[in-house]
Amino acid sequence: MINFIGKRLFWLLITMWAVFTVSFILMRSVPGGPFDREKAVAPEIKRNLERRYNLDKPVLVQYGLELQRVFLHGDLGHCMNIADASVNYVIAQGLPISAALGILAMTFAVSFGVLTGVVAAAMRGSPLDVGLRLAATAGIALPNFVVAGICILLFVFWIPLLPAAGWGSLSQLVLPAFCLGAPYAAEVARITRTSMLDALSHDYIRTARAKGVSRTRVVLVHGLRNSLLPVVSFLGPAVAGILTGSLIVEQIFGIPGLGVYFVKSALQRDYTLSMGVVLLYTLVLYTMNFLVDLSYAYLDPRVELE
Amino acid sequence: MRLEGRSLFPWIAGAAILFSIGWALNRGQLPPADFTFVNGTEVKSLDPAIVTGQPENRMINALFEGLTSWNPETLKPEPGAAERWDVSDDLLTYTFHLRKDAKWSDGSPVTAHDFLYSMRRFLDPRTAAEYSYQAWYVKNAKKYSGGGRAVRPGNNVEVELNVDPDGVNSIRGELVRGKLVRIENKADQELQGEDLDKAAADATLNIEDWTFVIATEAGEERFRYADDAFAARNDPADGERFARQILLDLHDVGMRVVDDHTIEFTLENPTPYFLNLLGFYPLFPVQQKCVEAYGSPQWTDVENIVCNGPFKPEFRHLRDRTRVVKNEHYWDRDNVKLNSVDFLAVESSTTALNLYLTGEVDWIYDVPAAALRTLLQEQPPRDDINPQPMLNTYFYLLNTKRKPFDDVRVRKALSMAMDRTELTGRLLGAGELPTYSLVPPGLPGYDPPQSPHENVAEAQRLLAEAGYPGGRGFPTIEILYNTHEGHQAIAQLIRKQWQQNLGIKVRTRNEEWATFNSSQRQLNFDVSRRGWIGDYADPNTFLDMFVTGGENNCTGWGNAEYDKLIADAAVETDPTERLAILRQAETILMDEQPIIPFYDYVSKNMVKPYVRGFYNNIQDTHPLSALSIDHDEQTPNPFMRGRE
Repeated sequence: MINFIGKRLFWLLITMWAVFTVSFILMRSVPGGPFDREKAVAPEIKRNLERRYNLDKPVLVQYGLELQRVFLHGDLGHCMNIADASVNYVIAQGLPISAALGILAMTFAVSFGVLTGVVAAAMRGSPLDVGLRLAATAGIALPNFVVAGICILLFVFWIPLLPAAGWGSLSQLVLPAFCLGAPYAAEVARITRTSMLDALSHDYIRTARAKGVSRTRVVLVHGLRNSLLPVVSFLGPAVAGILTGSLIVEQIFGIPGLGVYFVKSALQRDYTLSMGVVLLYTLVLYTMNFLVDLSYAYLDPRVELE
Repeated sequence: MRLEGRSLFPWIAGAAILFSIGWALNRGQLPPADFTFVNGTEVKSLDPAIVTGQPENRMINALFEGLTSWNPETLKPEPGAAERWDVSDDLLTYTFHLRKDAKWSDGSPVTAHDFLYSMRRFLDPRTAAEYSYQAWYVKNAKKYSGGGRAVRPGNNVEVELNVDPDGVNSIRGELVRGKLVRIENKADQELQGEDLDKAAADATLNIEDWTFVIATEAGEERFRYADDAFAARNDPADGERFARQILLDLHDVGMRVVDDHTIEFTLENPTPYFLNLLGFYPLFPVQQKCVEAYGSPQWTDVENIVCNGPFKPEFRHLRDRTRVVKNEHYWDRDNVKLNSVDFLAVESSTTALNLYLTGEVDWIYDVPAAALRTLLQEQPPRDDINPQPMLNTYFYLLNTKRKPFDDVRVRKALSMAMDRTELTGRLLGAGELPTYSLVPPGLPGYDPPQSPHENVAEAQRLLAEAGYPGGRGFPTIEILYNTHEGHQAIAQLIRKQWQQNLGIKVRTRNEEWATFNSSQRQLNFDVSRRGWIGDYADPNTFLDMFVTGGENNCTGWGNAEYDKLIADAAVETDPTERLAILRQAETILMDEQPIIPFYDYVSKNMVKPYVRGFYNNIQDTHPLSALSIDHDEQTPNPFMRGRE
């Protein structure tokens, strides 16, 4: 077990370094820099701007300095665009918000997804099953912004129940959590249904039924436990994505999370901030995959960690 | 063991959910502010010196106050921190008398020293103020802000020595004053005259390669640029000293403290808009004590910041909301009606509109084009929207360094073959007006000269004359724009018009902002879109852009007579004559047509009818200190003037 964790930690470092290096090269090779403006900046001023971020030094020196700062000091540097804040501060402000919203969205996605998946599988072929499958397909196919647009029309303008945007109250959480979770709920429902149908076709289910165990118990205990593994493997990367925030949902609902920075910092050539969010995403994704592997061992006694 | 682990799952999940809800609510339900509005993207900084952009403008204007401040309706400069001023007869010397009751938010008085400190800091290249050119009208200010690149042998200079790299970064190093004797390059050769100018203008120059020989009190000394960190770790070469930077002596810059409440500026040229500039946010003062106590940017933290404007910040939640409250030490506090204002950092204009329509905010400054058309057509007409022209022109740059745009007949043909009315009437629809000049109408005393209007037959004739009858032999040209659906729609329309009217082949290409700017600067385009917002209410803000080799020219075009006229206008003391010279310059520009202007932007504010003190103006600037809320007011809102 310890061995397993140690090995994973080692590979985590290698992965982070590789991601760092590739991102560094990509960022420096795109045309345009963080201080290119529509209105020209005087050379002496531009030089001072660049010097503040070591951009006046040769690329290899920059690479060394950045690497040292990020990996030895855990300091992601200063934002190039929001000049008042460090990248660590921006992440500390945005991540909990994205994560809080992500956890709520995921809770909704898992509970709703598993429930409808189980119901659909148990009532296979019934109109309810067909309806739920249709809804799931729609949920996967419809992009976030369409769902969000429809929800806003429905619940903000036609039936004024919920606020249009913002962060800070329970009612402001409902729509974004729903819109963020909906595609995941649909995916979870689809996976649950498939693996549940698979589990229910096994002999031990028939044995359990023959023993006289109630249908509900067979589905919920014997079947569900064995059909959760695929759901869990889907959840790992999905959680990583949802925790670090979504560009579209955060923009539409004006949520001050992290999602926006993934795109915006790259567009603004904010080298430090985009490096920060890329590394953060790598870390979260890696951790989630690690947790998924660990949970396999819990969910399935046959799995051994090495 | 395993079972225990598994039974922990629901607990962990439950705890995570509780934590999430808790976190989501921890900012709590704040009592709403008196006035809430959408301010666009998160402001870059609260430091007036280093920001540019409209969201920053609104924020800095609430927190700080310059020597003058603009009238919210007419934009005329009015007394701000200065209660009055004298201007010398040659229009070169401005003496400002500060009001004695002007206070910082910590209660200490605002003095002339604060203004001198702030102006110097603004010009200091280490502050890296992108807008520093807004202060270059002050004598020798440009030279000061050019640092070591700008000083020339014979100048009095101040050498700033290195400081401890771990110290507070906003404290200046010790100053050594002297006279610059010569500058030597990497090969120890003396640089002189034009060679020096050329070397200094080179963007790739590594100024650490230069040696500055300066006659100081200690005799002739040799100085070399070095970073603080570098200087702390290394010893200078024999007979040399390290310097943090080398600047023109501040005493030679046209700024002088006369006494605690009087400051004097001497200008390079009579600058009729100098008073306006002093009310422009980059030139607002900061408090030396505060900046030097915390360093930059930490002094802008809400707990630390000291400001002198009508409001002071209460909290700042990144990309969420910043609340400012009335500054109890502000001299004109009795006329500030709002006690608190929320700046919402909402980037999407659709989200902003949703917030406005559901009554969550009182003012939005932008409305998506599609929604705007519907809102303007509503019956009965809405009483909260009134688009009006502003000082902002949309135009295409033509790359005159490339064929076929080097031929003025081709440039003219392209302009004449455009149907601007179709563009403004059918595509834009917010009341934008077609334009044939770079300078928008509406500047007092200035009637912009017109480039030739649409004339397809004449355009075809010109094109034929240039050697492309019916578009035959004309290379495929490309319109470059920055990624944005509005610009895309315009480019497509112009493409269609050119293809139909001239029989030429046109492509469009979009690039995202940073790449776009770099392509534009390197003249890496055929035709490129550009919008220009006037920095101050004067034609010069548009016209001086197109002097030969100007940083923002980006067309490769140059005309000696044009350059001369712009230079003449700068020194002309008679205001009418000056505008006449500028008009002459624009006539040349519109005749040579390195650019094709096609419409002027309009403001797109939506303001709740109960908000008073909000006026449309050509710079779309609306100081919060002038606003008040009156729910019972029945008279028409002055904001709606021109659209009843």
